[in-house]
Amino acid sequence: MTEADFPESAKHSSDRPLPDSALLSELLQMLNVESAKSPSTPADAAWVAPVSAESGDQHGTNGSESAAAIDRETAFIPQTAQAILAESMLAPQDSVGELQKLLLGFDQAQLNQLRERLENPERRAVDVGQVLRQAILLQSMQPEQRVLFVAAMTPTVEQAIQESVQKNETVIADAISPIVGPATRKAITTALESMIQRLDQMLEQSLSPRALQWKLESLRTGKSFAEVVLLRTLVFRVEQVFLIHRTTGLLLQHVVTPTIAVQDPALVSAMLRAIEDFVQDSFTVQTGDQLETLRFGDLTVWIEQGSQAVLAGVLRGQAPLELRLVFRQAIEQIHREFGLALTQFQGDSTPFAAALPYLEACFKTEYKTLKRKSRPYFWLLFTCVAIGCGWLGYHNWQVRRQWTDYVQRLSAEPGIIVNKAENRWGKFFVSGLRDPLAVDPAALLPMTAVNSETVVSQWQPYLSLHPQFVQTRAQQILQPPATVSLTVDENGVLRASGLANQRWLEDSRRLAPVIPGVTQFQAEVTIAELQALGVSRSRIEAQRLWFKEGSTQLLNNPQALNGTAQEMQQLIQLTVALRRQVQIQIIGRANQRGSAAQNLILSQNRANAVLQMLVAQGVPPDRLTAIGMGTRQPLSDPQIPVEQLNRSVTFKVLFTTGSRARTDIP
Amino acid sequence: MIQKKVCMVGAFATGKTSLVARFVQSIYSETYQTTVGVKIDKKQMQIGGQELTLVLWDLHGEDDFQKLRLSYLRGSSGYFLVADGTRRATLDKAYILQSKIEQEIGAMPFVLLLNKTDLQQEWELEESVITEAIDKGWTVIKSSAKTGLGVEEAFLTLSRQMLEV
Repeated sequence: MTEADFPESAKHSSDRPLPDSALLSELLQMLNVESAKSPSTPADAAWVAPVSAESGDQHGTNGSESAAAIDRETAFIPQTAQAILAESMLAPQDSVGELQKLLLGFDQAQLNQLRERLENPERRAVDVGQVLRQAILLQSMQPEQRVLFVAAMTPTVEQAIQESVQKNETVIADAISPIVGPATRKAITTALESMIQRLDQMLEQSLSPRALQWKLESLRTGKSFAEVVLLRTLVFRVEQVFLIHRTTGLLLQHVVTPTIAVQDPALVSAMLRAIEDFVQDSFTVQTGDQLETLRFGDLTVWIEQGSQAVLAGVLRGQAPLELRLVFRQAIEQIHREFGLALTQFQGDSTPFAAALPYLEACFKTEYKTLKRKSRPYFWLLFTCVAIGCGWLGYHNWQVRRQWTDYVQRLSAEPGIIVNKAENRWGKFFVSGLRDPLAVDPAALLPMTAVNSETVVSQWQPYLSLHPQFVQTRAQQILQPPATVSLTVDENGVLRASGLANQRWLEDSRRLAPVIPGVTQFQAEVTIAELQALGVSRSRIEAQRLWFKEGSTQLLNNPQALNGTAQEMQQLIQLTVALRRQVQIQIIGRANQRGSAAQNLILSQNRANAVLQMLVAQGVPPDRLTAIGMGTRQPLSDPQIPVEQLNRSVTFKVLFTTGSRARTDIP
Repeated sequence: MIQKKVCMVGAFATGKTSLVARFVQSIYSETYQTTVGVKIDKKQMQIGGQELTLVLWDLHGEDDFQKLRLSYLRGSSGYFLVADGTRRATLDKAYILQSKIEQEIGAMPFVLLLNKTDLQQEWELEESVITEAIDKGWTVIKSSAKTGLGVEEAFLTLSRQMLEV
């Protein structure tokens, strides 16, 4: 609201908006604050009385009450108001303004200014801002006020942070990120170091000979293992520290290791005091001498005496003497700082709460094994694990490599087709097709480092057309005699060569085409029966039978003719087997002596005589033909006289297939 | 929290220990009295909204063989003077002890406890004796360890005297 809101015409007491009592009280307070900051001006003082007077009007009280109110208010500041009134009466002013000034004691303009300061939010904010900082500082300087102030501010600050995070989390995140990073790193480093240290201690405590000794001790004494370890690794530990009032034996302050079970410290401190009195009373001691140490096994009570108070430390183990100095300094410091409180002590230990840091300074512990640098067991374990992992890795790699080699070898083997090979959870799986004639896959395993128990194989049988297997199958099916060799080329041509009988050859010709993989059968085989036939013919045809001059009487040993007869019978049998026919010509001859006609008859007779003899020996007569040559086609042999040579009978063997004579017999 | 050291003194077998046994916290056994000559107990109370801890020094009763260690009384804020109502001599001993304490340690609040009131038949003290003590300005309370009579009252009375409330 500004001065313009109050036009001159409206300046009537009933129409004019007047400040209410609450507003006036505020103005009063503000002015009081202002006056504290700067010297009051007459105008400030002059404002007080009329404002208070107006408050009566505002509340609708009657005229007498208003007057009384004015009197009351003016009574508080009579001198200032009256002085201003007097001053304003002397000044030549506008009549209404003067009257107002006379009645109220100050300018409407000033009132408006103040109203504006209060009612304009911006002006008010500026005013509050000016005093807010100072107000916070004043609050924080007073301990009691500070607690209340913090309690009042906390919910607002918490809510503000919460809302800020909900609104835009990056603002708070950006603000705290410079400290979060280092703090996190530090926390992780500390946690890791602590973990390694604990691990090392744990290993040492589980593996070392000393640990075994402690375990035995634990079993023997019934104490827990941890307790034994703690006691045996402890160099010393301050378990409790008492600050005791010397005259009364009352406890002033006490600290204790959290894990230690203790008795009521108030009773213990009194008893310590009693023991000191007891020692002094019971034994002859020099004046001024004081109890310094109580010892029981590895438990020691150190008593540091001061003029007003006693510091008693309960220790376990062998504490260094330097620690005693710490105790001494602590009790001296306590006396310096709390001298008066100790002298005037009437049982209230509250002031000695501040002595706690001195007691805590005496609170020390040292263990033997807490060496941060040396972690031999950790490194030993680490090395073992590393070597173990390395070996396992190498072994695993080697096994895998050998497995791959094995699979490759299998794939290269004829008659084996690998479809799938894999390694799962330490087991090896291989599957595919295998010709029954192929090598046994299991037989290849011992040549690798792969454990046969870890291999699972699945093979489906199939027939490989590899020449090697075709040949093997041909051997198994044809069963060739030892004199025959079989070969199969890449085109599946089966070749048989060597010596074989007619029957085998015929069987082979029939069977070979049905052998899987055989496309053609070629036989380069000598037939054994044909060979024998040739030999037999040669023997028969080499035979010569001799006769007497002009006679059909045989000169040869009759045994010779028997042999020939048997030969002929065998020959005839062979030809039957070969499905051939044979005709043996018996050719009789005569020499030149006598007439040609006689000689022809003689030669015919000689041939007939031999025929008779052969038939008599069992040779079938239909296979024999007797031919008399006379003197035609005489034989010649330089070693035998021609007369004797042609006085003979010889044989000629003729083979035929059906009716035709054959000469292909060797 | 306020702490006060309070002693219990009296002739041998006047029931000092039994008197407080039911009302205090203790960690020490009675053998301390025969060895060290004192047993420490603790009693926590509320006096006028204030928490008070009494550290009780239960001193070995004086007899022909063992004198009271007056040094134990140093630093005390008050004491209970205990007599056995069934043995007149213990009251005389109490008078002697009181005067000795006042002489050597100095004046301090105390309460005279006439113990074993449950044994009325054996009671040896006349009312005049009590009146006499009261006339001297002493606080006299009849008590019984067996029934607990007067014990809490005795603690409260002495505490008030020590705190001057």
